[in-house]
Amino acid sequence: MAVDLSMPVLVVDDYKTMVRIIRNLLKQLGFENVDDAADGQEALQKMRDAEQKFGLVISDWNMEPMTGYELLREVRADDGLKPTPFIMVTAESKTENVVAAKRAGVNNYIVKPFNAATLKSKIAAVIGDF
Amino acid sequence: MGANDAALRVKDAIEQLKTQNVKDRQLVDVLELSGVLTDAMGHFFTALDETIKDEFVDIASFIKKARNEIGDLRPKDIQNNRIPSAGEELEAIVADTEVATDKIMQTAEDVLALDPDTTEDFGMQIQDKMLVIIEACSFQDLTGQRVSKVVSTLKQIEDRISRFAEAMGIQETEVELTAEEQRRQDLLLNGPAIGGPETAQDDIDAMFAEHNTAGQDDIDALFSTDDDDKKKDKDEEVSQDDIDALFG
Repeated sequence: MAVDLSMPVLVVDDYKTMVRIIRNLLKQLGFENVDDAADGQEALQKMRDAEQKFGLVISDWNMEPMTGYELLREVRADDGLKPTPFIMVTAESKTENVVAAKRAGVNNYIVKPFNAATLKSKIAAVIGDF
Repeated sequence: MGANDAALRVKDAIEQLKTQNVKDRQLVDVLELSGVLTDAMGHFFTALDETIKDEFVDIASFIKKARNEIGDLRPKDIQNNRIPSAGEELEAIVADTEVATDKIMQTAEDVLALDPDTTEDFGMQIQDKMLVIIEACSFQDLTGQRVSKVVSTLKQIEDRISRFAEAMGIQETEVELTAEEQRRQDLLLNGPAIGGPETAQDDIDAMFAEHNTAGQDDIDALFSTDDDDKKKDKDEEVSQDDIDALFG
């Protein structure tokens, strides 16, 4: 089944430029419905309040007050949000970070800096080809 | 009055009593004994006075040396000039970088929005916008110079503190983590690695590849609390080879 490019995507990053970069890349990939949040807390609120569930979350790790790792654990602990595909995009590149994220249920993991091709391939790996 | 002087006065008083015609044998014995005791205490207090005096001389010397070293440290200069100046440079770097990034990003977005079929002088417009991007990249020259100034300041502070610590014979001891440090450790907030990612994207991809056979149990094994594992240092890092072995 083809991926619905109109599904809402949530980009979570406290660095506005990174949000802008990911938004541009998603736009080039055809995603039209992109929202953003500056940290895990804001993201979690948006996810809980959303009328239409987000089809994908792309989150940074290092944010205040709630990190992307904490957001991931909150999402996976919430029955309503649990199935949401979640990709971590971060400069945290220690093996312990990758393993911890995988244990917490992340669907894929991208280390910064990254390029458009990497983002596209990881999204495809998580939600299917588009 | 020093302790030794006091002992001498007690001894004089005893001698004076002895010169009086004391007939009570027991009292004479007590006076004799007191004389011996006062002599002994006199020697003790003399030695004690010398020791205390030496201690005070050492302490005074250490305080003088510390005061000189603190003077060389120039804490007011660090607090009032060096640190604020470095902070201003770093803020300027953030601001310059933000302005340049915004300019480059905006121009790139403008280029992406251009429609070659409907835009007049499409080629010329692309060239003009590319020049804007090239100009914006000149921020790197300024930020490079600012970073050098900050590094130089940090080096000066490091030198002064190292010299001070060495002169004072300061021994480093284990300190408890602050709440913020503990939080960063618990949430694995390590920050970007120097010289590129510590784990390459290809290695991460291997961990998430469809064909990988490692299950949650295998990952859990890395964090096992079995007796054998307890012997390992809890801070020991899991090597990429260990991960590769699980996912190979």
